[in-house]
Amino acid sequence: MTHSSDSPSLFENLRLELRRGSLVLAVLAALRKEQYGYTLRKALADLGMAIDEGTLYPLLRRLESQGLLLSEWREEEKRNKRFYKLSPAGEQVLGQLLAEWKSIDSSLTEIVKG
Amino acid sequence: MQLLERYLKSLSPLLPAEQREDILRELSEDIQSEMDDKQSELGRPPTEDEQYEILKRRGNPLEVAAGYTSNRGTLAFGRQWIGPVLFPFYVRVLTFNLGLTFLIVGAVFAALSLAGQQVHFADLFSSVILQLFIQLSAVTLIFALVERHLSRHPHHWNPEKFKVELQVRIKKDIHQKIHKKIREVPRFESFSILVASTVALLWMQSLWSHPFLIFGPAASLIQLAPIWHRIYMPTVAVILAAMLRAAINLVRPDWIRFRDVAALVLDAASLAIIYALIFGGTWVVPATADSTVAIHAAQAVNQWIPYGLWIAAVISLAQAIKNLLRLYYNWRWELSSK
Repeated sequence: MTHSSDSPSLFENLRLELRRGSLVLAVLAALRKEQYGYTLRKALADLGMAIDEGTLYPLLRRLESQGLLLSEWREEEKRNKRFYKLSPAGEQVLGQLLAEWKSIDSSLTEIVKG
Repeated sequence: MQLLERYLKSLSPLLPAEQREDILRELSEDIQSEMDDKQSELGRPPTEDEQYEILKRRGNPLEVAAGYTSNRGTLAFGRQWIGPVLFPFYVRVLTFNLGLTFLIVGAVFAALSLAGQQVHFADLFSSVILQLFIQLSAVTLIFALVERHLSRHPHHWNPEKFKVELQVRIKKDIHQKIHKKIREVPRFESFSILVASTVALLWMQSLWSHPFLIFGPAASLIQLAPIWHRIYMPTVAVILAAMLRAAINLVRPDWIRFRDVAALVLDAASLAIIYALIFGGTWVVPATADSTVAIHAAQAVNQWIPYGLWIAAVISLAQAIKNLLRLYYNWRWELSSK
């Protein structure tokens, strides 16, 4: 059996896997500023971290249930919206994750350099 | 926003009950925001076709709902057999089938035990393991085939169908029905009935050649009495009719009255079968006529079976009353929508 390393679906799967791992970090970092789901999704997409709503909303719920986010329903522009922001515990975890990410980044840079 | 409401309505029964309202509110807000953005971009409200595109991009409601279920398990041996979308339903069907089977096996062993027959834990354990293996294989196979079909046709959900249905409805009676709620038999209810009934049929069919399936090691002592042979064909007919009903509602979930009437007819047939069983007199007979142990075991089980049958009769009657009330309320609702 042969495997083609340049198969588009294989690359796509690996790419998605790689990005999936960074989503939590991106969402937590973006929610240092309070936002509701739709604006968060747009902000992430504008910065090159597009995330579909089917992934984002369940992720927001999971992070909230883990105590990393706080949320509240509030009216804005005559519509009720659910606003999310980082909780104090979330800020602490974000700091730790960012440090970890920087460490991975510098290790990978060294590895790639050979 | 009729289309948005229909999308959310199709999503609603698939979401976890305790978060349903909250999730629907949030998704509704997200879709409305996207439609508002589209309106700003176009300088006019999005057309129906453009709204359909927005909803279609969000994907099949089954996949969307699967993201919110706490049971995100999958079944994989090498490759994935049952994915996160179907897994909660797989667990539900398996739990129901296994629960029912273990109840029967447990009742037989309890009856033997209460009658003073020696029941070894190893016998009970081997019987339970065998049931587990059979049910697990049958249900897993069916769900794996469905999963294979879904993965080959991932975008089966088509909002265009909503559009056609909606247009037909509007043409039919725009002033009367447009603001009415649309009632449908959930497709997963029909699907679950089909799977559970298939497994029940296979299980029943195997009972004659493998009485071990119901009696466990006690199969060497007792066997089913002739009454079970007499009710076998009517029971198979009822199960097949239930499967036919579910298959029809899978294609036509809007046939609510058909479901309600068919359910009542099937309830009546089930009650008639239970009635015939209750007055059957003897439900198990000794496997060997000259064995006193076998005769004693058969007497013990026959002594306890009526209690189980009466419980089944009460449950079936309660189900029939519930279905009768449902028929009445749906009939009233239909009258009020005209």
